Amino acid sequence: MVQAKKIVVVIPAFNEGPVVIAIVKELLQHQYIPVVVDDGSVCSLNAELRNYPVYFLRHQVNLGQGAALQTGFEFAKRLKPDYVITMDADGQHHTSCIPHLLQPLATNEADTVLGSRFLGPGNTAIPFGRKLVLHSARLINYLFSGLLLSDAHNGLRAFNNTALQKINITENRMAHASEILFEIKKHGLRFKEVPVQVAYTAYSRKKGQSAWDSIRILFDLILYKLFG
Amino acid sequence: MSGIQLILLTGVAFICLYFVIRVRKKSVDLFFLTLMIGAAIVFIIWPDVTNRIANWLGVGRGADLIFYTSILIFWFVILKLYTRIRQLEKSFTQIIREDALRKASPPSNETELPNDAKQLRTN
Repeated sequence: MVQAKKIVVVIPAFNEGPVVIAIVKELLQHQYIPVVVDDGSVCSLNAELRNYPVYFLRHQVNLGQGAALQTGFEFAKRLKPDYVITMDADGQHHTSCIPHLLQPLATNEADTVLGSRFLGPGNTAIPFGRKLVLHSARLINYLFSGLLLSDAHNGLRAFNNTALQKINITENRMAHASEILFEIKKHGLRFKEVPVQVAYTAYSRKKGQSAWDSIRILFDLILYKLFG
Repeated sequence: MSGIQLILLTGVAFICLYFVIRVRKKSVDLFFLTLMIGAAIVFIIWPDVTNRIANWLGVGRGADLIFYTSILIFWFVILKLYTRIRQLEKSFTQIIREDALRKASPPSNETELPNDAKQLRTN
């Protein structure tokens, strides 16, 4: 299949190994352009990724996922893509969801498409504690941004060029997920949520955030609102 | 002069010295420093003054008044430090980001690709 559109996939990675390679391989099969941002991993991913036709960027020190995403966006701007996708590097997201994300952009219904694990069927395997945290998080996001979504902190998103040029993430750590909502609101971007699959593997649960981290995110959010 | 007065005054003297060595030239800083040091010295030498101010403000003891105001001042200092840290983090991020963008490696050369990746490209 020949992809008519240029689609860049930004993957922020921190201390991920074989999983990233697997994702990259899959993306390349579908003619997507992977941009891997290594956020100061202890072992540089460069050695492992050298054999694949991907763009590779590396932060000298670990800054956080938000910072890695913004670096990826800055780089993506140079490639002049039609659409940009963001995806977690821990294998939670399926590349097969990407076409669903792109659909509203292609029909020009939205500037930003956010993946939601709570829309649509097939996501019954979400651990209970996780659900609780995510539902509280989306309410907090609503309080802060005025946007009530069905999911919070879903790393699978799609942006068109308008959104790419406007969105600027300054929250280096995990509060960036809320900051993206603030940016959507601030710049009056049109957004849409689409159902996506999120896999809860033993690996992703180990790598993912604990409920305790959400307190930290809330604290970051309050600071962001206080000091900008 | 009691022992605690000596200890406190020595402390104040050291803080003053440290400030002078750092040579902060901003007049606002200097003004606040003189004010704080002056107040500290007065309160240490004549502790009764704090008692009188405390009573006037409806607080039992001078020491309590000092304690309450210190909490306020500490909160202010913490917030000031947080803004500083956030500013530092911002410039730090910018430097790291620029470095990453400058060193960004493009997709590796076709000839270096292993067979499966080559195949991917021709597909």
